[in-house]
Amino acid sequence: MSTEAPAADAPQPEHGIGASLQPADAQAKTEGTFPYAADLWAEGLLWAALLRSPHPHARIVSVDTTEAHAMPGVRAVVTAADIPGDAAHGRRVHDRPVFAADLVRHHGEPIAAVAADHPDTARMAAAAIQVEYEVLDPVTDPEQAFAAEPLHPDGNLIRHIPLRYGDLEAAGEVVVEGLYRIGRQDPAPIGAEAGLAVPRPDGGVELYVASTDPHTDRDLAAACYGLDPDRVKVVVTGVPGATADREDPGFQLPLGLLALKTGCPVKLTATREESFLGHAHRHPTLLRYRHHADAEGRLVKVEAQILLDAGAYADASSESLAAAVSFACGPYVVPHAFIEGWAVRTNNPPSGHVRGEGAMQVCAAYEAQMDKLAGKLGLDPAELRLRNVLATGDILPTGQTVTCPAPVAELLRSVRDFPLPPLPKDLPEEEWLLPGGPEGAGEPGAIRRGVGYALGMVHMLGAEGADEVSTATVKVQDGVATVICAAVDTGQGFSTLARQIVQETLGIDEVHVASVDTDQPPAGPACRGRHTWVSGGAVERAAKMVRTQLLQPLAAKFGMSTELLQITDGKITSYDGVLSTTVTEAMDGKELWATAQCRPHPTEPLDDTGQGDAFVGLAFCAIRAVVDVDVEMGSVRVVELAVAQDVGRVLNPAQLKARIEAGVTQGVGAALTENLRTPKGLIRHPDLTGYALPTALDAPDIRIVKLVEERDVVAPFGAKPASAAPVVTSPAAVAGAVRAATGRPVNRLPIRPQGVVVR
Amino acid sequence: MKLPATLDEAVAALAAMPAAVPVAGGTDLMASVNSGLLRPAALVGLGRISEIRGWQYQDGHALLGAGLTHARMGRPDFAALMPALAAAARAAGPPTVRNAGTLGGNIASAAPTGDSLPVLAALEATLVIAGPGGARREVPVSHLLAGMDMLRAGELIGFVRVPLLHAPQVFLKATGRTGPGRATASVALVLDPARRGVRCAVGAIAPMPLRPLEAEEWVASLIDWDAERALDPQALHAFGDYVAAACIPDQAPDGTQEQLPPAVLHLRRTVAVLARRALGRALS
Repeated sequence: MSTEAPAADAPQPEHGIGASLQPADAQAKTEGTFPYAADLWAEGLLWAALLRSPHPHARIVSVDTTEAHAMPGVRAVVTAADIPGDAAHGRRVHDRPVFAADLVRHHGEPIAAVAADHPDTARMAAAAIQVEYEVLDPVTDPEQAFAAEPLHPDGNLIRHIPLRYGDLEAAGEVVVEGLYRIGRQDPAPIGAEAGLAVPRPDGGVELYVASTDPHTDRDLAAACYGLDPDRVKVVVTGVPGATADREDPGFQLPLGLLALKTGCPVKLTATREESFLGHAHRHPTLLRYRHHADAEGRLVKVEAQILLDAGAYADASSESLAAAVSFACGPYVVPHAFIEGWAVRTNNPPSGHVRGEGAMQVCAAYEAQMDKLAGKLGLDPAELRLRNVLATGDILPTGQTVTCPAPVAELLRSVRDFPLPPLPKDLPEEEWLLPGGPEGAGEPGAIRRGVGYALGMVHMLGAEGADEVSTATVKVQDGVATVICAAVDTGQGFSTLARQIVQETLGIDEVHVASVDTDQPPAGPACRGRHTWVSGGAVERAAKMVRTQLLQPLAAKFGMSTELLQITDGKITSYDGVLSTTVTEAMDGKELWATAQCRPHPTEPLDDTGQGDAFVGLAFCAIRAVVDVDVEMGSVRVVELAVAQDVGRVLNPAQLKARIEAGVTQGVGAALTENLRTPKGLIRHPDLTGYALPTALDAPDIRIVKLVEERDVVAPFGAKPASAAPVVTSPAAVAGAVRAATGRPVNRLPIRPQGVVVR
Repeated sequence: MKLPATLDEAVAALAAMPAAVPVAGGTDLMASVNSGLLRPAALVGLGRISEIRGWQYQDGHALLGAGLTHARMGRPDFAALMPALAAAARAAGPPTVRNAGTLGGNIASAAPTGDSLPVLAALEATLVIAGPGGARREVPVSHLLAGMDMLRAGELIGFVRVPLLHAPQVFLKATGRTGPGRATASVALVLDPARRGVRCAVGAIAPMPLRPLEAEEWVASLIDWDAERALDPQALHAFGDYVAAACIPDQAPDGTQEQLPPAVLHLRRTVAVLARRALGRALS
């Protein structure tokens, strides 16, 4: 059932499922001609600027906009008082004001917005707004949030899950404990937020933004403007990078307000600093663990306390916490578990959905625990893991039985048995790439090499009873197919996949994917691999319906079932070769349309002991990291990451490889350099010099050792989404390798040089 | 925007419009402009002044034009004579930045993390500053960086005079990642066999490069300048610790004993390692 990944010599189809089809916009994107939201233009447009709070926690005594209003060129200034509809918004709970009215809860919270005829005028006018603050002490330590005064009428505790599974009194012969801290990773999309709002003659407004969840954004906007949802249209422009809920409604909503107020198109392009201030980050997490095992290294019980810093507003924290608690033991069989998780409100920047949320933080902690356990038992870390791995049919601590393929042992064996990268000792010394970079300070005598393993798991699709549905339409005319589906291609490659699915089902090569707007039926957010599954499934169904419409008359005429007819390269032939015609001829100038939905089997919320069938599906990943550490300086270079992943079925090999490499690299960033520092609640260095993303020199050699293709029978095509699992797993693998190289505990991500130095 | 062709024209343009800001590579300046921190009334572009874009020999020194780009300084012919400056130039950033950013710009913006600055401090370079009416005056680079002798209105850095020492020179830098990044600490170390001296400067840990003069003198006295110039590992270690303790002292300047926070202790260790390795490489 499984294939070796480097099967480059095997013939690959040119189209349809399994082909490495290129994205239709690849050339435009490489040439720089692809239009993103920042490139949009409308006649007579105005420029917007936001005034953001310089304080993390403050009472707003007064806001005086007279001076800003009076500036020449300023056309409108809006504050909380100018919102006609719902003054609060939020992805799941509406707890977040569009503009802070009486209380500022985080650094960078919007307070007012200005539209002016020049971007500089708008910025100067925003700066001219007089806000009198009464600065309050910020609550920045999530542990203090429990006892602190409520920061919000909803209280400081966003969610608490006390998961109890099995016998809480059980104890093992060997016990290891640890305290782990995970930093704040920013999704740092390569294109900062931008958008254009255009008022409509009917009193509505159109928002041109790089939304990844257009229908939710439309509903938020309509509620904010006090309009019917059908008077607001979100048109999705090119998305310049999204590994999270892209677009911060805190800037989309003011944009439409200004357009409605002025009657002119209004454009806003965020600076890099605003981008860091506005959008949601990965939850900084504090984890305390105790693992019990028997003398053979089999896990007996896991106890854990997980504290997520949600920042000032709830956003997607409830889902992140559910994932963190549910996967707190990792892909291991654990007979007894007591996991308590909290998501709390602080005055830190807001946290939200960033891929692999919740699962990534716990993976770093439970894998550190497994390394500790292996050390204590004197076992090889890979061997200890193999004694505990999960398989299909095992039960998660949430009480859910794993029904999907779970080839965890096979994944781990594949990375363990892959040959280790050679030491560079045969190369001339100048060519060694040491920690510290080429011509850097690295000295061979101080370098230690380490090998570490990690196993990660993520859930796919929304959890806990979320209605995961997508609708797609397929149209065929003149031998050309068009897919209309509101699933946003965030770079994950959905539109390429949609073309492949239609090619496969209809045998038509030329397939176009329409651009997305909210006049189309909703397809839901682009996250957690949803679109590969639900939107891909909807496209397949719609394409099959079109196929039936096309073939039915022919089949009836020849007295055979449509199953006996096949379409390839635009030609329809019967199984016996008697019938042969072209699609164009069979269609006879008609247009064929079909719309279908895909809705996976329902899930249920976790109950008050953390039990429930909360997840539609799971995906797994194993990574072996090899690192070089300069133990005097504390610098780390990841030499190689060997990845084995459970993908269900490879739909597009080139795209899959790119997704895995990108995910692994994002994980390397979280492991080594990416940490948005917020001393006293203030974001420091909100730029790409201060916030160090991995460069080409930091990205290791990524070897995709094995892609296990065990089809998931409930998923369309049996395919599992592939982006999140490597993000979750690679930080833990890197930390494990650094631990092996240095002997230091490495209980903090990103890894700090002082935590790695060996004295 | 003015684009003068000679240094004196540029100085005249600046004198004629004191609010104008000179711009060479623009790698720092334009970032400030784009983020709205700086709105210069006018710019005087220095990119067309060919006399400051090259370098030449001048009685035992190299006279480097302030408009030399980092990319140019990183080339082998340059590295053969001023290896530490070349190494700093190569480490200064990604190719796009090195192609535009200039030596003079690095000095004028005087960022603590400017990579060429500790090298210039260790080399005891002198700046040739062009003033109105063809005036030229010379200022040691450390005087300018320390603010002892500032650029006056209408003045431009024209050239940098660097001694040619014909001996090993090393520049080492610690950064947060393997790819280009700002230095968390850097060390430049040059040997001056003619004067039997070792000169070392530590960058990025203070607003200007720091010179551990006592440590330099001490280690220079240990070296046998007429023979192999090798030192045993213990001496190298001691030198590293000496440099680090000089640059990041235990004692607060007011004499009160302070417990250094862990991050500062790590920085001190990093400086010690960089200084030790730099000396080791220079003597090997």
